[in-house]
Amino acid sequence: MTFEEAQKELEGIVQRLESGEAPLDEALKLWERGEELYRFCKERLDTAEGKIEELASRAQATKP
Amino acid sequence: MKVEAIEYGDRKVYSVGAFNRGIASWLQRLPTVWVEGEVTELRRSDRWASVFFTLKDPQDGSCLGVSIARGQFDALRLELSDGDRVHAFGRPELFEARGEFRLRALSLERFGLGDHLAALERLKAKLAAEGLFAADRKRPLPLLPTRIGLVTGNDAAAKRDVLTAVTTRFPPANVLVAETYVQGPRAAGAVIEALRALCREGVDVLVVARGGGSFEDLLPFSDERLVRAIAECPVPVVSAVGHEQDTPLCDLAADVRASTPSVAGRLVVPDLAQLLERLDRSRAGLERGTRRSLERERRQLDGTHERLGRAPRLLLERRRAKVEQAGARLRALSPRSTLERGYAIVRAGDGIVRSPEAVEPGEHVDVEVAEGSFGARVEERT
Repeated sequence: MTFEEAQKELEGIVQRLESGEAPLDEALKLWERGEELYRFCKERLDTAEGKIEELASRAQATKP
Repeated sequence: MKVEAIEYGDRKVYSVGAFNRGIASWLQRLPTVWVEGEVTELRRSDRWASVFFTLKDPQDGSCLGVSIARGQFDALRLELSDGDRVHAFGRPELFEARGEFRLRALSLERFGLGDHLAALERLKAKLAAEGLFAADRKRPLPLLPTRIGLVTGNDAAAKRDVLTAVTTRFPPANVLVAETYVQGPRAAGAVIEALRALCREGVDVLVVARGGGSFEDLLPFSDERLVRAIAECPVPVVSAVGHEQDTPLCDLAADVRASTPSVAGRLVVPDLAQLLERLDRSRAGLERGTRRSLERERRQLDGTHERLGRAPRLLLERRRAKVEQAGARLRALSPRSTLERGYAIVRAGDGIVRSPEAVEPGEHVDVEVAEGSFGARVEERT
């Protein structure tokens, strides 16, 4: 699952819940799923570690 | 010109010199033409009567040797260097001593700005007709790229601008930088090689950034091979080459065009602070939304409970109304209401008097009227 997919599903769930139309059973299931998606997204952001690397360009290395 | 052959029986054989002379004289009958190409391997010496160079076709690499009279070449004052594009006017020629074919140039012209512009327009029209710049080819950029590839010159400014914009918005970004030539005859090939190398390293979005420059400086970014390589790139490409008004063809083939390297940097990563805020809002929405469902169900239950409580009293009320109604009807039917209208009941002995024969004159009777009763005596029978 990509970050985008998770974020989109999470926002869809919030919309459904905020409409107040979901029966309680469904609402609780949605909440659980939503929390799961939230944790996934948060983890993706938290574990992302900045790195700037230089690719040794062969084109330049082998220039005549 | 007649070329002499030696005859061995019925076989005609030419000497090398005769053969070359024959070919040379045949070539001389061809008309003069203009040939376009890039100058390479220019060789000039004051000891030589001619200047030599090779014309190279930038598209497929075909080569053609050229010679031109040194006096003529010097008079043109072209100051050519490797990679310069020229138009050469001349005719094909065979250097007989070595059997080498080449173009004998009578004149040379540097490929001018107007020629470049015309060539660019032709290429643009051709690629547009192929659909290379079509809007439906453009791919969306990933929201959260895991690795960003950056192709840039080592001129620092464009590279620094992209990196600053990227890391300001999204500090944990992963950027793989490939520095390469961004101008001159080798630039197009070098940029293509850099793009491919970055793709092999598994980037999921690419930025090609180069600061502003002269029209000629930016020409490699309109090179047909580079434009095609960008269009065929397996991941989305953001192009930020030159300034707003330049629009090299690679900008048109890229998935997204950025006006400056900084804009390109901002385009490829999300704003981390905004992303976290949005995520937290979503989470708050989760709880609020679930509570809303809970509240609604609770209200519904309360309503049902209230109705349950009201039910027995309602039943009682309804019964009472029914009894009242029956009473009213009963009263309407009782003799009292008849008395109310002014009638009277006469009783004699132990029965109600219904006929004059039932009483004797002088007999005592009881008379009942609406508001009470009184005694009376019968006077006579009529």
